Amino acid sequence: MNLTLEYHRSPVRYMTTRTATGTSVGGRASGWMAANLSPLRLLNRPEPRLPDAGWTRVRPRLSGICGSDLGLLTGRNSPYLSALISLPFTPGHEVVGDTLDDLPDLPRGSRVVLDPVLGCVPRGLEPCTGCAADQPSRCDHITAGRVSAGMQTGYCADTGGGWSRMFVAHASQLHRVPDTVDDERAVLVEPLACAIHTVRRVPIPDGASVLVVGAGTVGLFTTMALREYTKAGPIYVIARYGHQRERAREVGATEVLTSDRAARALRRATGGFLARPDRGSEYLLGGVDLAFDCTAGSGLDTALRVTRAGGTVVMSGMPNAGVDLTPLWFRELNLVGAYCSSGHDFPDALALAQSAPLTGYVDAVYPLSRWRDAIGHASAAGRLGSVKVAFDPTKDQ
Amino acid sequence: MSRPGFVLEVDERTPALLMHEGEGFRLEKLPLGSRVIYPPESLPGLRDLDAQIRHALANPLGREPLHELLRPGMRLTIVFDDLSIPLPPMRTPDIRQRIIEQVLELAAANGVDDVELIAGNALHRRMTPAELKRTVGERVFRSFFPHHLRNHDAEDKANLAEIGTTRHGEVVEINKRAAESDLIVYVNVSLTAMSGGPKSVSVGLASYRSLKHHHNVHTLRHSKSFNDPPNSAMHHSYNRMAGLLGDNLNIFQIETTLNNETFPDYVGFLNKREWEWNLKDQAAYLAFKRANDLAPPKHRRQIWHRTAAPYGVTSVTAGDPIQVHEVTTRHVLRQQLTEVDGPADVGIFGLPYICPYNVNSIMNPILVMSLGLGYFFNLYRGQPIVRPGGVAIYYHPVRNEFHPVHHPSYIDFFEEVLAETTDPVAIETKFEEQFATDPWYIHLYRNSYAYHGVHPLYMWYWGAHAMEHLGDVIFVGGNRKTTQRMGFRSASTLDDALEMARERVGSSPSINYLHAPPLTMADVR
Amino acid sequence: MGLIRDVKVLTGGRDWRGRSRTPRSAAAHEPPEPPREFPTGWARTQVAQAARRVLQRGVLTPLTWSQTRPEVQGRERLDALKGPVVFVANHSSHLDTPLILGSIPQHLGKRVAVGAAADYFFDARWRAAVTALVFNAFPVERHRSRRLRSLAPYLLAKGWSLLLFPEGTRSEDGWMSPLRLGAAHLCVTQGVPIVPIALRGTYAAMPRGRNWPVPGRARVVVRYGTPLHPAEGEGARAFNARVGESITQLWAEEDLGWYGSLRAQARGELALPRGQQFPAASWRRTWESTRPLVGRAPRRAWRS
Repeated sequence: MNLTLEYHRSPVRYMTTRTATGTSVGGRASGWMAANLSPLRLLNRPEPRLPDAGWTRVRPRLSGICGSDLGLLTGRNSPYLSALISLPFTPGHEVVGDTLDDLPDLPRGSRVVLDPVLGCVPRGLEPCTGCAADQPSRCDHITAGRVSAGMQTGYCADTGGGWSRMFVAHASQLHRVPDTVDDERAVLVEPLACAIHTVRRVPIPDGASVLVVGAGTVGLFTTMALREYTKAGPIYVIARYGHQRERAREVGATEVLTSDRAARALRRATGGFLARPDRGSEYLLGGVDLAFDCTAGSGLDTALRVTRAGGTVVMSGMPNAGVDLTPLWFRELNLVGAYCSSGHDFPDALALAQSAPLTGYVDAVYPLSRWRDAIGHASAAGRLGSVKVAFDPTKDQ
Repeated sequence: MSRPGFVLEVDERTPALLMHEGEGFRLEKLPLGSRVIYPPESLPGLRDLDAQIRHALANPLGREPLHELLRPGMRLTIVFDDLSIPLPPMRTPDIRQRIIEQVLELAAANGVDDVELIAGNALHRRMTPAELKRTVGERVFRSFFPHHLRNHDAEDKANLAEIGTTRHGEVVEINKRAAESDLIVYVNVSLTAMSGGPKSVSVGLASYRSLKHHHNVHTLRHSKSFNDPPNSAMHHSYNRMAGLLGDNLNIFQIETTLNNETFPDYVGFLNKREWEWNLKDQAAYLAFKRANDLAPPKHRRQIWHRTAAPYGVTSVTAGDPIQVHEVTTRHVLRQQLTEVDGPADVGIFGLPYICPYNVNSIMNPILVMSLGLGYFFNLYRGQPIVRPGGVAIYYHPVRNEFHPVHHPSYIDFFEEVLAETTDPVAIETKFEEQFATDPWYIHLYRNSYAYHGVHPLYMWYWGAHAMEHLGDVIFVGGNRKTTQRMGFRSASTLDDALEMARERVGSSPSINYLHAPPLTMADVR
Repeated sequence: MGLIRDVKVLTGGRDWRGRSRTPRSAAAHEPPEPPREFPTGWARTQVAQAARRVLQRGVLTPLTWSQTRPEVQGRERLDALKGPVVFVANHSSHLDTPLILGSIPQHLGKRVAVGAAADYFFDARWRAAVTALVFNAFPVERHRSRRLRSLAPYLLAKGWSLLLFPEGTRSEDGWMSPLRLGAAHLCVTQGVPIVPIALRGTYAAMPRGRNWPVPGRARVVVRYGTPLHPAEGEGARAFNARVGESITQLWAEEDLGWYGSLRAQARGELALPRGQQFPAASWRRTWESTRPLVGRAPRRAWRS
């Protein structure tokens, strides 16, 4: 039997959490909501079936809790995504684990990290345009093929997910982890790959001024990737908590700001005028060349307001908040999305994981049986001084 | 008869003494033996003020009577001190209004058509129309606003004129209209010994280019104090500039001095010596203190800023700026000077709710610093009331709040510059240029009601002398974070503060408390 | 909580009336004590007058008349007089004022204000208030120490008659002391007549130091003299002398009879009864002045 945390269909719970976390009071208690009201349950399921040759069972060593997972549990995620998943499924797409079946080039027992995208190759389909261009994150066939609908492992009923003792993965999704990378670093490879993918989505001129909104995992890794793969000039990071500020500086931020005074500080740093509308927050006429929103949408408004005319705003992380798009129109901004990873991002992320200062990023590891604590902790990670919270399913008896 | 100022020595008979702390006050029991410097009691104001003004204009010092200087076809510019003085603002009618009305009366009688009124606000924020109206009066305002009653704009390059360069290489650049006038009439209120005289035109109408020659760390560190012009490097610079102006311009100076009636009758206890408080004063103290402490901060500020001082005018003098200013300074000192026998290890200052730059506004941490380490610390002649290396203890809550319209550059200065350094010289070299030329600040200074971008730096320089002189600065009741950001310390009570000061001054330090406001200037021997 | 703390700090070092001691170093800088004037205007309002009438006629006069046997003489001399006038009497007892107020003829008595020593009657507020209400008293400076502007001219101008005791204080031993110039000066400058009054037996009835008349209804005499008008060009000193003579004569009338006193005065035998016939500090001074007045039939004007 396979111990698994399962997300099941429960319209009542979904609507309850979604409505409650939409209010200001509920928003503060979203951790509690996610832990207690979300349609998640721990149960024993039969072991997953291998869909085809080329697949292997994977036993997770560590499985991270991602911001999009929390959005899912609190019902904040957009209903847009409901067509791209198949219920019930086991979440968990940031995984380091051991393979249990022999595959060509990948003997059983290999320590691997998972690239969760379920493109045409795992699905056994003719490549679509995106997959043909080696950009599986843009795959058009994520509802078709050998396994059920699901944009990634962790949203698909047939594959299972990282928050369990075992799931299945296609050989193309797995990357061997060198021995020099320990599990705590390896579990961060997936978000690192997304960050690398994000900074590669747009051309970044040398010396360009960049703003990273948010200093959670995504924000920190984006900053890291900017320093590693671009020649960006000053990088300003908006961080809320003390440890985030420290870490942001460590990974190369020029200056770390708080959100309430970001506009003023950026005005001072990049020039321009500060405008104060009758309602709503201040914005800049002038500002940074590029902004990365790494906050699941709440920072998008800030990003739009402090980017110079003609600049670019990149959305990393799943957006789940509405925003006033007037600056996009008025300042003629480019709004760019960045989803998952593709191409060389994963191997590069693996390389970066070896060198980057990632010690202490995974500082809270829970067994599956303590999932409510884990979810609660992850919801308040910033406040509690953590970056990444992960499950260790091997700890469960 | 008003009694002269004196130094009280705290003994066991002394009741708790009043201490201002921002928008509030408290009674504080000082350690035995502390010395408290009280100002002379308020001098009687002039009885028939209008007649006095008329007399001054008709019998100026070192000048022809004003009416002889006025003729048809001339260009007349009347410049007046802006809202940074007096503090708190005086009850209407303002003395400036009374004088300007009489000057205009004479100008009208002599057929002068081309008259402009300019507020000498230098790099201060522009005065709002309501503030202008309050200062010059309804009739003047109606006749001249908005085209001929204006604020000076130090960033309007087209309307600045360079007068020349002093022998020390200081560029003198002032308002063009004033520079091209046949006669400048300057209407002044001298609240402290630093203002008025050579400072009036050379500072009030100047540009940044000209101001930076005296508003800098070096000058201020050599102004000991800047309230004692003969010993103030800043005033030496003013004098050189004023000399140049005097050679090139025709300035008719009218100066006034005020007495110490700083607070209205209903808070009369603020003007009285504590052991002379009667039951009514004590009841008023309790009632006001309670009401004030309980009031929501916004209302509290409004109430404080709405009080106007019932000042009496103690002198009106007109004529040649230098001769007039001698008389004026004498009157100011007569009202404020108290002799003190030597400095002490610890100086205590209660900082009030207002300083020259937060009229109708918020006193932000930078302004607290400039009021405490700038204005109050420099209220001395001879030597400071604290010995070199001694400790200054201030009373102020030092809240981290800023007026977003009036003090935009202050916010950035506090958040960015002070986070990096508090050393005035380092700030001057690294940041002054940036702040002075930032186009947004300039835009807000010219078109909104903001202080000039460089102004917070000037405020910081203002305390440069004190920072060099003092061993430690402690704010009683001060917000820990904000005081720390500025390089100071905070204590919750006086006892704590003295405990903290112990490492510098020992366990039984001598203490001088400057009992102000009303303004007191210590003549320390 | 805050209030309690504030009160504690405020009241520390202050007495129950909120007074603090002056710190030693501030003693040299104390302000001169401001003249404190007890306001008496309220005591001359209609309401206070009505209350006073009730108090005087209902309590004060009956009480005085019940404890003494007053004999009032010469009242008819005031019949033709119109106020305001200044009543001037010798002063040796607290009985003096009630006796006079109780015996002044109606047409003048309605508006009489009494000059009372500011340093005694107006020292404590409660005493000042009672004195002002019951006697319509106003403060008079005896020692010229505080330089209060006297109310007297103002009251005269407002039509109030005044009762003044020009000796300045109650007699120590029942004899008179010289009359001060104040009253005479006032009348000369204001052109107001003086009514001299002599009181006899009041010292015996209630001497200094007693707070109730002696038992046994002592006889007292209130004798009004002929009103004196200041003559044209007469100085205060001369006028004061005339007033003194008049009181002297009224005093002597008790012993010598009316005509006898007139004769004695004409012969120059009368002088202000200061007890000069007795050596200073002699027991006989007090002995004589406390001798009870014997009720006698008035002497006949013409001796047989």
